[in-house]
Amino acid sequence: MLSSAILTGLVLGGTYALVAMGLTLQYGVARIMNLAYGDIVIAASFAAFVLFSALGINPLLGMLLILPLGFALNWLIYAILLQPLARRSRDRGRLEGDSILATFGLLFVIQGVALVIFGSGFQSYNFLAVPVNILGTIVAANRLLALVLAVAFAIGLFVLLTRTRFGTVIRAVAANPASAPLVGVNVDSVARFAFALGGALAAAGGVVISMYLTFSATMGVVFTMKALIVVIMGGVGNLMGALAAGLILGLVETLVSTYIDPGLTLAATYLIFLAVLVVRPQGLFGKATS
Amino acid sequence: MLEVSAISLHYGKHLALDNVALSVADKETVVVLGANGAGKSSLLKAIAGMVRPNPGARVNLDGVNLVGRPDHSFVEQGIALVPEGRGIFGDLTVAENLELGAYPRHARPHEARQRALVLDLFPRLGERQQQIARTMSGGEQQMLAIGRALMSCPRLLMLDEPSLGLAPIVTTELFAALQRIGQTDIALLVVEQNVKASLGIADRGYLMEAGRIVGTGSAAALRSDAAVQQAFLGGAAPTAISTGVFP
Repeated sequence: MLSSAILTGLVLGGTYALVAMGLTLQYGVARIMNLAYGDIVIAASFAAFVLFSALGINPLLGMLLILPLGFALNWLIYAILLQPLARRSRDRGRLEGDSILATFGLLFVIQGVALVIFGSGFQSYNFLAVPVNILGTIVAANRLLALVLAVAFAIGLFVLLTRTRFGTVIRAVAANPASAPLVGVNVDSVARFAFALGGALAAAGGVVISMYLTFSATMGVVFTMKALIVVIMGGVGNLMGALAAGLILGLVETLVSTYIDPGLTLAATYLIFLAVLVVRPQGLFGKATS
Repeated sequence: MLEVSAISLHYGKHLALDNVALSVADKETVVVLGANGAGKSSLLKAIAGMVRPNPGARVNLDGVNLVGRPDHSFVEQGIALVPEGRGIFGDLTVAENLELGAYPRHARPHEARQRALVLDLFPRLGERQQQIARTMSGGEQQMLAIGRALMSCPRLLMLDEPSLGLAPIVTTELFAALQRIGQTDIALLVVEQNVKASLGIADRGYLMEAGRIVGTGSAAALRSDAAVQQAFLGGAAPTAISTGVFP
């Protein structure tokens, strides 16, 4: 039972980490606290659901369509809704306040559209729901795939950010946006790109979630909250921190629901979160000075 | 090469720069002297495009007015600024900071050559390539900031108080490096509190007070100028020194 719980926890944690990595990009680089983030996740879940059940396109292929769409949609959201806010508020505190209000509105727009099209019921579909034996533990293939995808996206993003010139530019804007123009970096366009890339990761998370969980139009806020907790636990803008924090959160939730009581999972989540905030407010892997 | 004129700048109602004009010739080293709050930093920021001066201002580089262009395009034109407080990317490594310095399109083909030049100028940066920038000493961070600016192949390198907060021995080292840079094809525009050291490497100087240029001359003339001596070089003017007010 323990190995099964750990495997389930890793799958859930991998999903949390994947979802949180997009938010940490949006918040760490574009400085947008995006409350509509989870609704982008769920929108992608619905998109995968429609592609699979109506057109018979499997979610892996569906990603090839949904991820670029997620990127484009978030690029537009930033360019139309958020860039004007970023331009007129050069200090960070004001941008955070404004972006929270603007994306809070956006949350209801996306959720409203989803409710009109899909209703408020839970949806799911059967994809790779075949049992696989991993070291004596039975696990559904779709969950295993979810974990593999989460790890693959994390590695891909890590390589992009640390091994390419453009990745260095993104990290430079996150580290010191005021200095970026001094080396010829256009902060506006880097922030727009990072926000869109974060949106594409949200979409990836949504597709992965749809493969093994049931979801509904009003569930977005759950993923926004979970992603936010993971981001803060891992340290804002810290990719590997988000990965580790996501896995920890998934493991703890699963272990608590398996061995103590399923009703206490949320309580456990927030207990860890509060403990981190009290003991290490910069996050488990964040820097003390930032 | 650089002709600046009619630069006025308001922060709210406060007039930080009042119709400032100055010029820097090819390969020249020019220093701007003045008390705290005289507007020296604002002037460099305006020339580098980090703040936008009032309408009518001209920042002409080879006759082309750059005022009004986006902030990130100035370095592409060959104007590099080492800001007060250095402005390095503290979370990134030394090597990454230098790599970013070569981000402007015109600098990319010369990245290897410029890096060799920077490491020759500041050997300590070579020993610390993989170190996270903010964990270095103040002097090393200042060297990195200058190195990063040099990576952009500037024609004009501007430095805002490079010796601020540095130990005297580090300051000496720093000015030796600046002097070497000044002997290359790069023109320097330096704002400094350390009047003696900066006049030592400069060809010419300007005096600033309350947002205006109030005097100019060759470095040699300024060194022997009574007003400059009184204000900055410990001449016999106790009131000026004790209040810190430019006479």
